[in-house]
Amino acid sequence: MNVERGKINVTQLFFCVTGFVEGSVLLVNFAVDMTKSQTWMAVLASIAVAIPVIYSYVALATRFPGLNVIQINDIVYGPILGKLISLYYIFFFALTFSFNNRDIGELYKTFIMPDAPMIFFLAAFAVTCAYAVHKGLEPLARVSHIIVAISFTVMLLIFLLLIDIMDFSNFLPLFDVPLISLIHSVHVITAIPFCESIAFLMIFGSLDKTEKAAKYVIWGLISGGFILLNVAVRNTAVLGNTETIWTSPSFESTRLIDIGTVLTRMDLLIGVIQTILIFFKASLLLYALATSVAQILGLKSYLPILLPLTAIEVILSATVYQSPVDHAMTTQNAGIFYSTPLLYFTPAITLLIAVIRKLPKSKRRKRS
Amino acid sequence: MKNTAVKIATILLMITLLFGCLDGRELSELEIVIGIGIDSADDPDSIKLTAQVVNVSQLGLSGSGGDPDSKPYWNAATTGTTIFEAIRQITHKTGNRLFVPHCEVVIYSKDVAKQGLYKHLDFFLRAIEMRLTSFILIAEGKAGEVLDAKPQTEELPAVNIYNLVKSYGFTSHLYDVTLKEFSSRLISEATAPVAPLIKVVQEGENKDVQVMGLAVFKEDKMIDELNMDETRGLLWVINEVKSGVLIVPTPEESGVAVFEIETAKGKVKPEITDDGKIIMHIDIKLQANLSEQTTAEKLARPEIFEKLQDNMSEVVVQEIMSAYEKSAKTGSDIFGFGDMIHKKYNKKWHEQLEEDWEEIYKTIEFDIKVDSKITKTNLLKNPVTQKLGG
Repeated sequence: MNVERGKINVTQLFFCVTGFVEGSVLLVNFAVDMTKSQTWMAVLASIAVAIPVIYSYVALATRFPGLNVIQINDIVYGPILGKLISLYYIFFFALTFSFNNRDIGELYKTFIMPDAPMIFFLAAFAVTCAYAVHKGLEPLARVSHIIVAISFTVMLLIFLLLIDIMDFSNFLPLFDVPLISLIHSVHVITAIPFCESIAFLMIFGSLDKTEKAAKYVIWGLISGGFILLNVAVRNTAVLGNTETIWTSPSFESTRLIDIGTVLTRMDLLIGVIQTILIFFKASLLLYALATSVAQILGLKSYLPILLPLTAIEVILSATVYQSPVDHAMTTQNAGIFYSTPLLYFTPAITLLIAVIRKLPKSKRRKRS
Repeated sequence: MKNTAVKIATILLMITLLFGCLDGRELSELEIVIGIGIDSADDPDSIKLTAQVVNVSQLGLSGSGGDPDSKPYWNAATTGTTIFEAIRQITHKTGNRLFVPHCEVVIYSKDVAKQGLYKHLDFFLRAIEMRLTSFILIAEGKAGEVLDAKPQTEELPAVNIYNLVKSYGFTSHLYDVTLKEFSSRLISEATAPVAPLIKVVQEGENKDVQVMGLAVFKEDKMIDELNMDETRGLLWVINEVKSGVLIVPTPEESGVAVFEIETAKGKVKPEITDDGKIIMHIDIKLQANLSEQTTAEKLARPEIFEKLQDNMSEVVVQEIMSAYEKSAKTGSDIFGFGDMIHKKYNKKWHEQLEEDWEEIYKTIEFDIKVDSKITKTNLLKNPVTQKLGG
């Protein structure tokens, strides 16, 4: 039985996926250390690599319409192994939400309010996400339209305002960075913005028509990826060779907007947009976490465990890293190891086993 | 019962929102800094930092009414081993921390620049409150004195200096180097950083500041200076000449024709020939007006214009070559030719040129084409002295 009663349609799914991918818009800067002026190439390559992977998620969900991934695991792997694999998913959702929460905490602590203790940002943000999840999936999906509209407008506006200080010769020379760095970078960018949408495996179960989901999800991926490309191109063009020294190149490039002595110090705009986008992404992750825990425990609804889970997440976010330096190091190097088997292989293997075992059985009945 | 619990919980949640006020700084607590000067102190390891703070209550009152001795600014000076230490130590003199988001100029004295700027640059890039668009200048003498020279038409010295640098386009004899531009040149291995020079000029009782010429750095140490013409030579090539005055000899050599530059565009194309010679193809397009002439010749004729245009191109070429020759003496690539070659000939750059770029820079050949056009002669068609002969 589903823990979620609401239904969303495929257009809302498109905007949800776009908003989710855009939530990691500042994470492109992690890749700048490795690929410098060729980050735009890494973003394009990541979009190409992510499309088949995301397609495997959607194919799995389409094969089992109306079910979320915990239920699918139980069917495909059997009760015991299925629950173990579901625990891997839950572990991933829990960690990822704490990383995103920490991201926002660090953004505020470093740039906006340096004197306030970080735990308050983490708690306030997590509670806001919990409130959004408490309302359910449908309000979140409805809000995704306006979030994507606002973020697209603001990102394009910042790009236009920076055009006169862009120097497109900063993209030359074209192939200066060694291939291994490029591959590392592609791996990081594919894993974080794009493949974290594995959380949608909990949401596909609530679609009203699962058959058409693939097209909308892939388009959502591409439009989210377009904004990431926009950020990568803008930062390289504006900052040039100084891109690698800043903690946050996006902040620095927005700070350089200086039009008519009135439009200056617009970096707060990045802070606001990032807050909105990460809020959306984190809410979806918290939703995935709450519903998966509720499903695995056999509860009728995820509402009772929502606040306790949020409290655990706050403590996790507060203790997981010591500083932004730690965060960057772990994301670039260690993060990809614990998440790679889950993101790239688990849904594909689940799909393969389902095909081999000819599941779900109701489909077989339809054929005969 | 439940309602009361919900109300209490809501109130508690609202109280937690007050933690945002921890960062609040009221206007009376702010020491608004508009300019910072760095000098070397008596102790060789220390620096003397001068921060020009706006005295908000005196702003607008100086001169008209009020105490004639009071200035709308005060220069807080401290010493410290590093910049952040010196800035914090200013709280020994005031009760408030400095508020640097409005800092418009950062001035280093020549001594500090010659010893190296790495040590004294990090803070300005790292501090969240600083602006990347502040200008860097190098002062002859003491930076503290430069910040003290009260300008005639502007109340605050630092704002005056900012305006001076910003309007470099009127003569194109200096260049506005922001913190970002300076760090970009510093990070690039081939390009040499530059910064405009400023000095205090004493005329009778008045002390004025004058900004002209550029200081040239090798990595972070100042090694050379460019004068006005050499600076403009640099600006021709990097396409930053906005306006200026060109003094050109007339064909009959009886005086000079003075032109005002209307528009100027510079394009550079690097070329490496098969036998390893580096040739820079520089293409300058220039439009100018005849603003003054000191001879009685009738210059407003097409064939004279041709000759004047040729002479003008000669002057431009001379300026560019003088800038190149000055920089080649020290092997400082002020034009950014190394980066241009890197972008076009990636492999050759890494294999052959990168290591010895300083020496190879001295062997660059030039192919300069200047296309000058005289577009108008303002209100005079013929000079007023035509009957006086000459």
